Amino acid sequence: MLGRQFMKETLQDSAHAYKEGRMDRRTFLALCGASGVAMSAVMAGDAQAAADHVVMWNWGGQSEECHGSAIGDPFTEATGMGLRFDTSGPLEGKIKEMVDSGNVTADVADADLFNAVSLGVTGHLEPIDYSVVSKDKTLPGFALEHGVSVILYGYAFVYDTEAFGDNPPQNWADFFDTEKFPGMRSLYKWANGSLEAALMADGVPGDALYPLDMDRALAKIKSIKDDSLYWGSGSEAHSMVVNGEVSLGMVWQNRGRNIENDTDGRFKLVNNQAMAMPGAYIVPKGNPAGAAAMQFIATAQEVSAQLSLLDCLGMTPSNPEAFDQIPEDQQPYAITSAMNIDKIVYNDPVWWGENGGAAVNAFLDAIS
Amino acid sequence: MPLLTRHIHPGWLIIAPLLVLVVTLYLGPILNILWLSVTDPEPGLGNYAQLGESDALIRIIWTTVRICIITTVFSVVLGYSIAYAMVHCHQRQKNYMLTLLLVAFWISILVRTFSWLMLLGRRGLVNVALEDIGLIVEPIAFMRNELGVLIGMVHYMIPYAVLPLLVSMQSLDTRVMDASRNLGASGVQTFWRIYLPMTTPGLVASTLLVFILSLGFYVTPAILGGGKVLMVAEYISVQLLVTLQWGTAAMLAALMLFGVLAMLWMMSRFMKLSTVFGGSTR
Repeated sequence: MLGRQFMKETLQDSAHAYKEGRMDRRTFLALCGASGVAMSAVMAGDAQAAADHVVMWNWGGQSEECHGSAIGDPFTEATGMGLRFDTSGPLEGKIKEMVDSGNVTADVADADLFNAVSLGVTGHLEPIDYSVVSKDKTLPGFALEHGVSVILYGYAFVYDTEAFGDNPPQNWADFFDTEKFPGMRSLYKWANGSLEAALMADGVPGDALYPLDMDRALAKIKSIKDDSLYWGSGSEAHSMVVNGEVSLGMVWQNRGRNIENDTDGRFKLVNNQAMAMPGAYIVPKGNPAGAAAMQFIATAQEVSAQLSLLDCLGMTPSNPEAFDQIPEDQQPYAITSAMNIDKIVYNDPVWWGENGGAAVNAFLDAIS
Repeated sequence: MPLLTRHIHPGWLIIAPLLVLVVTLYLGPILNILWLSVTDPEPGLGNYAQLGESDALIRIIWTTVRICIITTVFSVVLGYSIAYAMVHCHQRQKNYMLTLLLVAFWISILVRTFSWLMLLGRRGLVNVALEDIGLIVEPIAFMRNELGVLIGMVHYMIPYAVLPLLVSMQSLDTRVMDASRNLGASGVQTFWRIYLPMTTPGLVASTLLVFILSLGFYVTPAILGGGKVLMVAEYISVQLLVTLQWGTAAMLAALMLFGVLAMLWMMSRFMKLSTVFGGSTR
């Protein structure tokens, strides 16, 4: 471990030296070779990135541009360090694999807060440095030892106004009521949100969901199985609604605006009982840029960055200071806006971190 | 050197780099997976014991095998008739058919999967057309269920079924069929008793190829199954990426590997596998 740390620092110093022309290319490459960093990675500039960049591991698409302008630019201004992206999607298994292999190439992963719980106890994450990152700039309970919520997203649903325009569905109980609201509906395939929605539909109050009563939730899920489809990605959820495959669709609430636009207002978003999910930034153990990752996270907590992420990605701020600055046109679509904040419920990342694996498998067993 | 070449054929030296590559890049990871299946989360056969305890795993395996068998039957039967037609029509038509087949073969699986949704989805071309001419009132559920998965998989697998059959049929000695007719057999008799047995190696080859490839299907069931058709490949990916039960994933992967090997072994009891893969019969 000590040897690796030494190697990393040597490599970072030599990356600087190489860039400034104090070291020739061959020596630098030899050093990289000796420390086990792939030549191709060096050629792509990753070793330099380790020295003066933070690498953000996100999900690609628009987020690259949005994270760049919302967090990357102010971060560069404040620290002089750049921002690079790995857009391959930091799924829990990939983070574990990266840390276990000893070849950590990312600094900050755009993940879920429950990942911080499950990967934290197994030693795959750096603890958050709360002398740099602020516990007050997120909702209470969402600043954990190994991860802090920077944005919120949510599980809400959209409904077909042509089918149910006169008497629209109001809550999850209506969503699960196939007699009053006939037609296909879509739910999230990896259990999250779907289980909570089922329990609320079955009469469990939103503030008494955890620990989840799995048997009760799964029975409710199975009761509408014949009328359900299940989606695995945001775009799949979107296309199921837009292509008219479902009349009621659970969606990530930040997709609500796009769906309303793409269907010319035929589908409408319902935020009542929407579940706020803490999206978190977590740091893989032994990340190349070291402590700079914490400064990056702190930058992302600033109100300006939070509002910019809302504008660009539709991700809701988790910093309470930003709540009352949510612009008028975003009010219906931001889960913690003044319009919605009293209607929503909150996910428990600790329960999901500890029980998520078993819950996902039980859910898959119930729907397949 | 002469001593060395007396004991080791010089050909091995040419093959050696390839052998090293195969062993390190292929056998290494496979052994790693097998190792993982008996060591994660704790040493022992706990992962394999799950098969006896968990109905869910058995159901996923059964779904996979059932879908693969149905896919294989349809792909090979359709593939056989396509190959038969190709061998027996004019060269010009045959070229057209081959072109169409290869175009389908080369189109990405994602594109082909999503095309089926556009065509046969709830608001797809077919359903909308049938509703407009008044043949149906409610859309037919072609997609987002097991039927959808089967349609997508059979369509994807047909070129894989046709190509080995085509090779097998083209290399037949057609004089044998003439002799059969000449000796008084009817066309049907000639087909069942001469033609079909002579194309058996091609049939076995395409059956094996289609079945083995079907076992690993991931994208098509995930999209066309609407979340309700869970096959082994998707389940393995969930265990690797989401639930972090790598031992279970490795166990299922090992099980699929041994399943395929066992199938090849059983086949080899009945026939020489080298004929199936294009080698000589002797």
